[in-house]
Amino acid sequence: MKRTSTPPSWAVRLFRWFCNHHLSEAVLGDMIELYERRRKSMPPWKADVFFIVNVIQFIQPFAIRGNSSPSINTFGMYKNYFTIAWRTLLKNKGYSAINIIGLAVGLSACLLIGLYVQHELSYDRFHKKASRIFRVDMELKFGDNRLELATANPLLGETAKDEIQEVEQSTRLRWYGSFLVKKGNENIREGNVGWADSTLFDVFTLPLIAGNPKTALNEPNSIVITESVARKYFDRTDVLGETLTINNTESRKITGVIEDLPSNMHFQFTSFVPLVEDENALEATWAGSQNWNTYLLLKENANVGEVVPLVNNMIGRHMEPELKSIVGKTLDEFVSEGNYFKASLTPLPDIHLQPDRIGELYGSGNIQYVYIFSAIAGCILLIAIINFMNLATARSAKRAREVGMRKVMGSMKSALVGQFITESLLTCAAAMLFAIMMAVAIFPFFNELTGKDLDAGILATPPIVAALIVLTLVVGVLSGFYPGFYLSAFQPVKVLKGTYSGGKRSVFRSVLVVFQFAASVLLIAATLIVYRQLQYIQHKDVGYHREQMLIVNNTDKLKNRRDAFKTSLLQIPGVQRVTVTGFLPVNYYRNNNSFFTSRAMDIKDMISVQKWTIDEDYLETMGMELLEGRNFSKDIASDTASLILNESAAKFLGSRDILEKRPYRLEDENTNRLKEFRVIGIVKDFNFSSLRQPVKPLVFTFGSDDGCLTARLGPSDFMGTLAAIEDTWKTIVPDLPFEYSFMDADFDQLYKGEKQSGKLITYFASLSILISCLGLFGLATFMAEQRTKEIGIRKVMGASVPGITALLSKDFLKLVLIAVALAIPAAWYFTDQWLQAFAYHIPLEWWVFAVASVMALIIALMTVSVQAIKAAVQNPVNSLRSE
Amino acid sequence: MKGTYLGEFEELVLLSVGILFDDAYGLALVDELERQTARNIMISSVHKALVRLEEKGYLKSRLGGSTKLRGGRDKRLYQLTQSGKKVLAESRELRNDMWKQVPKIVWEGSRS
Repeated sequence: MKRTSTPPSWAVRLFRWFCNHHLSEAVLGDMIELYERRRKSMPPWKADVFFIVNVIQFIQPFAIRGNSSPSINTFGMYKNYFTIAWRTLLKNKGYSAINIIGLAVGLSACLLIGLYVQHELSYDRFHKKASRIFRVDMELKFGDNRLELATANPLLGETAKDEIQEVEQSTRLRWYGSFLVKKGNENIREGNVGWADSTLFDVFTLPLIAGNPKTALNEPNSIVITESVARKYFDRTDVLGETLTINNTESRKITGVIEDLPSNMHFQFTSFVPLVEDENALEATWAGSQNWNTYLLLKENANVGEVVPLVNNMIGRHMEPELKSIVGKTLDEFVSEGNYFKASLTPLPDIHLQPDRIGELYGSGNIQYVYIFSAIAGCILLIAIINFMNLATARSAKRAREVGMRKVMGSMKSALVGQFITESLLTCAAAMLFAIMMAVAIFPFFNELTGKDLDAGILATPPIVAALIVLTLVVGVLSGFYPGFYLSAFQPVKVLKGTYSGGKRSVFRSVLVVFQFAASVLLIAATLIVYRQLQYIQHKDVGYHREQMLIVNNTDKLKNRRDAFKTSLLQIPGVQRVTVTGFLPVNYYRNNNSFFTSRAMDIKDMISVQKWTIDEDYLETMGMELLEGRNFSKDIASDTASLILNESAAKFLGSRDILEKRPYRLEDENTNRLKEFRVIGIVKDFNFSSLRQPVKPLVFTFGSDDGCLTARLGPSDFMGTLAAIEDTWKTIVPDLPFEYSFMDADFDQLYKGEKQSGKLITYFASLSILISCLGLFGLATFMAEQRTKEIGIRKVMGASVPGITALLSKDFLKLVLIAVALAIPAAWYFTDQWLQAFAYHIPLEWWVFAVASVMALIIALMTVSVQAIKAAVQNPVNSLRSE
Repeated sequence: MKGTYLGEFEELVLLSVGILFDDAYGLALVDELERQTARNIMISSVHKALVRLEEKGYLKSRLGGSTKLRGGRDKRLYQLTQSGKKVLAESRELRNDMWKQVPKIVWEGSRS
């Protein structure tokens, strides 16, 4: 028998691959000798296994690392790599430019997206105790109402600290809103004010420049401000003990100055006032108001999984007496009806990217966009790398002779691969330099787009620099790898004899082109759909007027002069209607409330609604449509107990005779006093939160709320009207600033995030198409060059210019068509997913995908045909003359 | 440098190279060591020791002596260098020296 006794060849190859030259042959000999010996005493499979074990045993540094004793100075070789690489780059300026520009654009896009994603992911990680801080999120269900809150009741935090030993500290935050701060004779509005417990600094890492973290928020009428607020009012930061005049009347003593909050924090308050002032925060209720963002700091060794049930037990224990007194039920009865009050603990760093809950301090990020953008960055980078690989392999024919020569002269394969990888590393390094320059140049623009406040200086920080170097190396090696192996595998005999023409057709290259264009089509389709959805949102009939609507703030400061202001406004010719209330469909006041449909106050009959207090002019001013019943009237005294419902709330009450219904509301939790209401009208549903959610039940009650004043202005002499309104304000309250906004602008603000993302996707999609085309252009140029002679002969034989153009474009178009076929289902799936997040969205239409495909085709055709035509119109004499 | 420190296994390998004289290559050394010590010896550890000893300058090697049995591959044949011989001698001397210093009573006293 011949070769029956050879060990597994893959193991042999593996060994030779990793083992150094010094040992490889001799050790392999030893192992084979041992193997032969074993074959005599055991079954072949066993000998094979032993052999493999032997090979594995040699995976050790001493066998892998090159033997240093016959040390060769390899520096010269590497220098040569660089020289050759540099010369090749210079020799083919066109290709080098395409490569470098393509890669640079791709890299800079990646870089920016990377920074964006990194920033999104870095939220709240900088707190020293970040891993131990958790926010208590409540999930409530009673009757048909289910609420997901980011908040808890006023007692939970403090009680948890007392009763659960794993909890080290707790602190609460609540949105205060804004107030006016006096500077000289002026009053300046200061937004982003939060209530905070005195334990704020025990939990969060908010370095104080001045003040004592233990006592800063202990006393009523104190205030902790950030550095920049201090600068704004005092031009210095050592302002401890100074006072600020708030809302023209109160004075607050500054008890602490903190560093400005970093932008990657889930709340962005610039001033904190002590929560001890908030009467509601002292309320002893477990089932009642849930308005406080509550954070627990767990002890070092505590396990969150074990703390959650403890918190829930605690809630149940304390809530039971309250349940008994209000609804007359024990906890078990309450729960057995399918109701619950459940707490969960959200780790601090997760708060920013998890879906928004009710009562979130600041709108959070969207993990979806983090994924989308990462995917786009990956796509763009891949497309750029593919360009590089494609061009390099396509040009293989040109390099084939060089490779053949080198091999004949004794170059090893590894050296050739090294040569090509050096070349791609050099290209990549150049591209990276360009990319960084580009990124720095468009940084301000990018910040504006994303609404982030990133500093270009971040590019110079060590971790980023390290990441950039690694990225350069990875991309360089990755894009040089395939061409390196492809080119170095040429057989010198064939190449030098001239039978190898190379680079005509390659399945791999086709696959890459298909992938590139599939990605482009996907991005075009996604862009179109995102754009259309945003258009839809902006122009959707939301059920109220939002054009020409002026919102005047600070009307709560007018007190008894409010009515005078309202009447004098109505005398201005350009003002059509005026209503005074803080409850507006765009982001203003919100008020969650419960009504019962029966006197029994059964939880089954409870309905959770928005309860908005409005005056008789509201519906008219907003242009809301009454479907049934009548508006509130000043002349009907009983209207203080009347309700106007929206359609969603009406649906809740039943389908018929809504106007006969009598909803009840609990007015006083201690005495269980109920107030009976009468439904007098139904308005058409209007959107008052994001279009991502369906319209929730809402009721209007008649009364006065002075949050702000909304005036509907006539179309003529807009500026004049505005000036007249301001004059009126100045005569009535000269010491308060006239602050206003327009409802359509506020509305747009609601969708700022979507709009930004839409724009970003558009830009990056265009970029990816641009890079794909760059690659296609390079390929087409090369193909045309390759086939110069063929084209010449065809022309001599009478082929027409269009015929030749078609011939050259055909191959590419086929690839693009395949790409389209692959991309459309994927695009369909992803865009559908995105649209499903909106309660109101456009339908997915086939023509969008058709347009995307045709666009990709046209772009590809234009790119290719430029080269094809150039080749086709050449005079055949030029191409055929020299042989 | 770690100096002239010689591990126990390294010393055994050096001695085996001396014993086998003309045919001291990896597998033969494994066999010799297994025979002498009655331990199970891994081929990779022998080669590891050989590489290290060569680096320290106690051994020198050349290729040669291929046979059909090994798929026609060369052996790496090892030979003691001057300093290899010296380090073995030193090691032996050290032991002898220390043996002498152990009081006789230690050996005899162990009976009681």
